[in-house]
Order: sequence, then structure tokens, then C-alpha cells
Amino acid sequence: MTALRSGAGARVVARRRVSSESRRRALGLTLALPPVLLLAVFVGIPVVLAIGFSLGHNGGLNSTIADIGTGTHSATSWWGTGQAYVDVFTDPRFLRDLGVTVFVTVVSTLLVIATSLAIALNLRLRGGRLATVFAGLAVVPLFIPVVIASWAILTFYSADGFVRTAFALVGLEGPTWGYTTIAVVIGSVWTSLPFATLMATSGLQSVPDAMIEAAKDAGASTRSIVTRILVPLAGIPLVIATTFTAIGILGQFTVPYFTGPNAPTVLGVDISKYFQAFNRPQESAVMAVVVFALASGIAFVYVRANFRSAKKEGRI
Amino acid sequence: MRASLFGRRATSLVLFALVAVFILGPLLWLAAHAFATSWTYPSLLPEGLTFHWWSVVFSDPQLAASVKNSLYFSPLTVLVSAIVCLPAAYAFSRFEFPGRRVFLIGLFATNAFPKMGLFVSMASLFYGLHLMNTIAGIVIVQFIGTVVFMTWIPAAAFSSVPRALEEASRDAGAGAFQTFLRVTLPLALPGILVALLMSFLASFDEAQGTYLVGAPVFMTMPTEMYSLVLNYPKQVAAVFAILLSIPSVALLLVARKYILGGRLAEGFQIR
Amino acid sequence: MTLETSRHTLPVAPLGAASPSADHRAGLVVSGLTKSLGGRTIVDSFDLRLRPGELVTLLGPSGCGKTTTLRMIAGFLAPDSGTVTIDGRDVTNLGPEKRPSAMVFQNYALWPHLTVFKNVAFPLTVKRLPKAEVTTRVMNALETVGLTHHAQSRPAHISGGEQQRAALARAIVQEPGLLLLDEPLSNLDAQLRVRVREEIREIQQRLAITTVMVTHDQEEALAISDRVAVMNGGRVEQVDAPSAVYATPATSFVASFIGSMNVLTSAELDRVRHGRAEAAGPSETGGPFAAGEPLEAGEPLEAGEPFNAEGETWAVRPEHVVFRPAPGGPIEVRRILPHGHFTEVVLDAGGLELRAVVTGEAPREGDRGDVTLTRVQHYRDGLLTASGEAR
Repeated sequence: MTALRSGAGARVVARRRVSSESRRRALGLTLALPPVLLLAVFVGIPVVLAIGFSLGHNGGLNSTIADIGTGTHSATSWWGTGQAYVDVFTDPRFLRDLGVTVFVTVVSTLLVIATSLAIALNLRLRGGRLATVFAGLAVVPLFIPVVIASWAILTFYSADGFVRTAFALVGLEGPTWGYTTIAVVIGSVWTSLPFATLMATSGLQSVPDAMIEAAKDAGASTRSIVTRILVPLAGIPLVIATTFTAIGILGQFTVPYFTGPNAPTVLGVDISKYFQAFNRPQESAVMAVVVFALASGIAFVYVRANFRSAKKEGRI
Repeated sequence: MRASLFGRRATSLVLFALVAVFILGPLLWLAAHAFATSWTYPSLLPEGLTFHWWSVVFSDPQLAASVKNSLYFSPLTVLVSAIVCLPAAYAFSRFEFPGRRVFLIGLFATNAFPKMGLFVSMASLFYGLHLMNTIAGIVIVQFIGTVVFMTWIPAAAFSSVPRALEEASRDAGAGAFQTFLRVTLPLALPGILVALLMSFLASFDEAQGTYLVGAPVFMTMPTEMYSLVLNYPKQVAAVFAILLSIPSVALLLVARKYILGGRLAEGFQIR
Repeated sequence: MTLETSRHTLPVAPLGAASPSADHRAGLVVSGLTKSLGGRTIVDSFDLRLRPGELVTLLGPSGCGKTTTLRMIAGFLAPDSGTVTIDGRDVTNLGPEKRPSAMVFQNYALWPHLTVFKNVAFPLTVKRLPKAEVTTRVMNALETVGLTHHAQSRPAHISGGEQQRAALARAIVQEPGLLLLDEPLSNLDAQLRVRVREEIREIQQRLAITTVMVTHDQEEALAISDRVAVMNGGRVEQVDAPSAVYATPATSFVASFIGSMNVLTSAELDRVRHGRAEAAGPSETGGPFAAGEPLEAGEPLEAGEPFNAEGETWAVRPEHVVFRPAPGGPIEVRRILPHGHFTEVVLDAGGLELRAVVTGEAPREGDRGDVTLTRVQHYRDGLLTASGEAR
């Protein structure tokens, strides 16, 4: 009698548990879907269309643009045609601009990470009022619209800008960086610095004091504390900062459009130029896919770093 | 010893001055132009001071309309984004469901495709859906840039609320919804505030997409800024730049504590 | 020496068979509770029955399943099987908000954005009670725990002990049918812990709330419980009054977990015994207790049965090891550990370490003598089979 009753109870409980768990899964999925679906429609479909267009799939939603554009190739096999890619990659102008893009991305990213790391280390190890103000200063660009930032930087470094004015005051001829690749690098660093600084400071602040003190106690120099304790422990936020910065600079438009030269320029500007000024939309799409491929490579590093940290901390 | 200490102090002050000039210099230089009659190289100071350029901006109906448009679209976008994304953020933080991690990364991955390259096919799509030159179209195009902020940062904020605090509420007799409203939400509020702020800035700053969908019917401040730079005297653009920065700087002062406190950084580590 | 059969050969009395009393209303009945997580059985057919107003402690090492059990009783975890009945009502399928239980969390789980008053008022305001009633009841609860002066403070601004009391107030303000305490004292320092546990016990008895407490601190469990349920590996090993758990551990696990205990194999016991002259008869069978000594009916220790078989252990409390100095004796005093009101002595019985308690004048290291074991428990396969007492 008792055994019978308890058996029945067990079955009821088990059923309830399964249903409540699957209900939770369904609810979670339902709540998460709206932004995912919206992005799938308004970004995902255009991405697929753009990739298709770059391969010569000119039907459907791509038909209008394929009709208007010049130099458009049509698909010759089931997967399309690589002709547009051949056109782009044999264009010396593209190859030069690809080089400039990679150069700007690498140099700017390195400068951003070095500067933000220096600011964060100064805050973590020395602290004090000046260090705090330093870190606060580096975050200011976060709040300035990129359009304004680009334009402000252009006027600051232009032929009649502040830098040349300051040089002229002491009787020197200052450099004119406006409309040069240097200005693009300066603008990229300026706009990317806040995010990297926030990531670096948060990463370093999360290293417990005790770990630094233990290293000091063991006789470690400041240098080895930085290289052997702080940077490895803050590794993940630094990787995130690096990838986000690199991806952001890789595909940027506004900063190089305002501050850079007409030629050579970066691919973000070329994509717009080939589409609007040269009316070669398919080549523009090809360049977008190239930038996307590069960015995906960087994003892969980010995702792997995150998974590794999740695994290390036993989160998955 | 003393000399080296002084030397270090001096070095850090020089470094600080350099960074300060690098960051603030361009902004101050630009801002100064808003009050200058004219300014010729190599004079460090303008020839005279005036408020003339401000009246030029305020009396231009087209520029005034763009200010109004900006102040209309950005809050609207943030509101829509919050309604769509905050429940998702909560789900990402508190529910286990198939595809959770893929979705979370997918939301970010949309940023990897250069916006400029997207606009060609996006234009086709928006034409097809009759979203061109509509309010909905602009809100959608600005919403895209807010999604990562509005899901990731609040998700981290929700995750940082200890489960025991929610359990205590359930134990005290509150249901799931009441627990969310009275315990989880207030505790996650700083993170949500940062997300709202970042989304506002992203939407307020968005120019290319808005131009693509809205121009020439709906011009916002950043889209106007593009033509302004080319067609007006430098001083007018400077005035406009100051106006465009006011909301951001005001928000900076409000949320400085939370952003510097690591709420933003926390949001970008996948859990 | 007498051997008496243990009354505790079964870890738990089967449900229903016990409680012959007229009052069938139990404060809490947990029956057959089982939970597996990740393929591992965390709690294995857990049974427990509490009288109204009784305080029972779940005691065990970390990972023994005590917290999982408590969370199933509270409703945070759904059991794989089994039932939970509070005050005669089956609550197994109810969420925590629908159960008449109130929990004090390990880290108190006070809401940092609310004042102490609002924290305590929360359970009442979610029930939409009238404001006046809320205020009265909250102030009563705060007065009970002595925290009225901190009503308007934020949790972060009061001490750990005060936070603990605020959490207790939040639980008792609900007038719960069942109070659950999850390691309520683990975050307090040693002195405060003793004081707060006495306060908790006093309040619990005054309000006569049926209470389940989880702890890994045996001293705490023995000090404030009506009964202690010792858990190990997801199972209850013994449920008994603190004195009984201490005096007559039902299993060898309980024997070694509660208090200090000398655990010996039969061979080792024999070695100790050979050093002393009296107290027990000669060891004709190879075991420590001679055949023919008084054993009660049903006693598994039968005449001629070998005692040094596998799975046999003997347990002796240090206070039941009586050391007598005797020059040239077989046992040597290795170390003296003063504890204040008594002295613990570590003895060396031919390479075997034995602990004894001395209340009078302590011997000195290097002294020799012999020992008498005044009370011994015998376990076979971990279960108590007999207790022996020297007469």
C-alpha cells in the first residue's frame, strides 16, 4: 500500500519537473527571439544578399541595383561567379587600399591597447588622483559623436590648425596631418581609446590586491608583476578590447572619410565610393565581403578567448 | 632619491599634459571656433568674439528641424530597443535554452560586417518592405546599432544579482514577476542605465543608415553634419557640433560613476 | 563488562511505523525525498518527521546533501521523487512562494536596495496586507530580534550579526509554519556565533516554530537542537537527541564525525586490551569480549564468533579511555594537549595512537601506565551492533 502510493507520487513529481523545465526553456527562447529575429531580418538578409550579389546572384532584391550598376557580372554556375572578385583583386587601387586598411588597423589597435594598458596599469599600481583623472579623460571620447570627433581632429591637425599654430608660435614649421593617413590613425585611436581603457581598467581592477602583494612579497619587480601577474590575469578583457578595437577600425567609415586623403584611403570609404561615385556596386559588395572575412577572423579570436575563459572558470 | 622622485612626477605630468591635449585639444579648438568672428593661421587667438554663428544655426529651419528629429528618433529608438531587448537580456542571463550562446555571439557578429557594405542590399530590402523614408525604417536602422549594448550589458547586470536575493523573495511569497519587478530590476538598474545610455549615444550618433533610409525627408543632426561641414563656414559647424554634444555630455555626467565602475566592461564578457 | 544491543541498528525508523502518539499532526513530514543532479545521487530517499515546534538540525560534512535537502523542503528544487508535507498539507508541487515556510539564507540575502524595515516588510507587502498591520508586525518582529533601532538602516550599514537578525526577522514576520535556517551562523565570528545561536534557539522556542537548520558545525548542532539528523552521502545516518547521537552513534560514520573518537580495528583493540589487567574477561575467542558475557536477545555477537573479521570496528570516546600511571606499564604518554578545563592526552599503545581525556592531575610526557576502556561501541559494516560498558 505504502509502496504503491509513493510510486505514484514519484511519477507525478517527475512529470511536473520535466514540464516545468521545458517550459522554462521555451520561455527563455521566446524572450530571446525578438532581437535575434529582427537582426536576422534587417542585418542577416542584407548580409546574405550582399554576399550573393558579390558572387553574381543578381535576381530578386538585388535586381534593381544590378541593373543600375556598371561592370556587373552575372552568375555562371550554381554558386555564382568569381569574376567580380577577380576584378577587385586585380585592381591596383584596391590592393593599395587593402594595405592601407590593414596598416591603419594594426597600428591604431597597437597604439590603443598600449595606451589603455598604460593608463590602466598606472591606475592599478600607483593610483591616486592624477591616475583617476587620467582614466576619466580617456573615456571622454565615448560621449562625443564620431562625426564631431572626426571633424574636430581634422581642424586640430589641419594646415591652419592648433598644432601648426603652436609650432608657429615658437618659430617652427609644424606638420600638416589633416587629410593624411596619420590623421586617420589619430582619429581611430581617439575614438577607440575609451572602450579599450574601460576594458583594461576593469580587467586589472579585478585582480585582487593580495595577488599583487604576494608577488611583491616574493620579491618581484614592478615589471615582472605587470608581465607575469597583472597582464595574464586580465588577459580576457584585454583580448576583448583588442578584437573590438580592431573590428571597429577595420570597417570604419566616418573617421577616414573626414580626416583622410582622397587616395589612398581605407576600404570602408572605398565601399561607399565604388557604390556611389563609381557606380560599381558589385565591386563595392566584394570589398564589404573582404572586410567581413577579415573581421570574422578577428571575431573568432574573441569568441575563442571567451570560451576558454568560460571553460577555465567552469562556466561551461 | 628626491631628484628621481621629482623626475618621475614631472614625467607623469608631461605625459598627462600630452594625453589631455590629445583628447581634449581637438574638442576645445573646435568649440572655440563657435564664438570666433574669423581665425587666421598662425594666430593663436581669433580676431574677435561673436554669437553670430549661433543665430545662423537657430534661424535656419532645416538645421532646427534636424535637432528636433534627433531628439525625437533617439529616445524612440532607445524605448523600442529596451522593450525588445531587455526581456531577451533577462533570458540570456537567467534561462538555459538551446542556442543561447549562439544567439548571444550572433548578436555581436552582426557588427563584424561593415555597415557601408550592408547599405546597398539593405536599401533594396527597405524598399521592398516600404520602409524607406518612414519613421519605422529609421527606428529599425538605428535599433540595429543598439542591440549589442541593450542585450549584453543588461544580461551581465542581471547575472550579477545573486540568485539568493531572488530566492529570498520567492520564499517570502512573491511570484516570479513580482520578484523581477521588486528585487532583480532595481538591483540591475545601474547596468540597465548604462545600456540605455550607450544605446542612446549609438542611435544619436548613427549617420549613414539614417541618411540612407531617412534622407531627404528626415534629416537628423549627424546626417546634417555631413553636409554642414562642406557647405557652411567652419564656425557654423562648430556651433552645431557643440549642440550635438550636449546630450552626450549631460548623460556622461549622469552615468560617469557606473561606466567607470566597470558596468560597461562587464557587459562584454560572454557568460 | 556488559554489552547491550543498540536501539539504533536502523538509521531511521520507517515512516508511519513510528509516532504512536495520539497527535498525528506533524510540523513537517519529509518522505522518500530523492534528488540526482548530473547523474549523481545527491539526496537518497531522505525521511524526516518533525513534531510541531521542534528544532531539527541537518548535520554533515560538505557535499552530504544537507543543503540540497533544505532547498527541496523550501521549494527551490523539485525532488525526483518523494513528498514534503508541512502542517499536514502536501506542498511537494508548490513553488517556494506558495509554501508556508520561511528561510534564513546563508549570506542572509538581504536586499541591498531596501532598508531593514522594508526588507522585513516585503513578505507582508507582497501579500498586500493593510499598511497599519504591516507596520505593527514588522516592528514586532524587529523587536523580537532586538533590531528596532536599525529599522531605517540599509543592510550594508549594519554589522554581520545585525544582518543575521534582520534576516531572521524577515522570516519570522511571516509567522511561518516552518522555519528553515541554512548555515545561519557560518558568517559570524566565533564569539558572536555562540550568542546568536542562543538567541535563535530562544526565539524559536518562544514562538514554537517548527525549524530545520542546516549546519556543518557539530557543536552548533548539538547545542541548540531537539534532535540532530546526521547525513552522509545523501542519506540520513542517524536522527536522535544530541546526547544520544553523541553517546550512542548509530553508525561508524556518526561515531567518527561527531566529537573526538578513537576508532580501532579488532586487532588494535586487542592490542590495547592486552596492556591492561582487568575490566574485561580473558580473550579466549580472539575477540575482546569473552563468550558467555551478558548479551541481550537478538544480539548479533554470538559465542565463538571471530571478532577480528573484516568490516568490524570499535569506537571509544577519549573520555572513556582511563589512563592510570604505572611505572613500566605498556602504554606511554606521547603528548599532552591542555584544553583548559580538561587535558587531552595522546597515548602510544605499542605504535597505536589513542586519545584520552584527563580531568584531574595530568600525567607528563613519557609517563607509562595502562588504560581501561569504560565504554566501547562495536560496528559491523558500519552499523552499530552493540555497546559495551564496564561495570
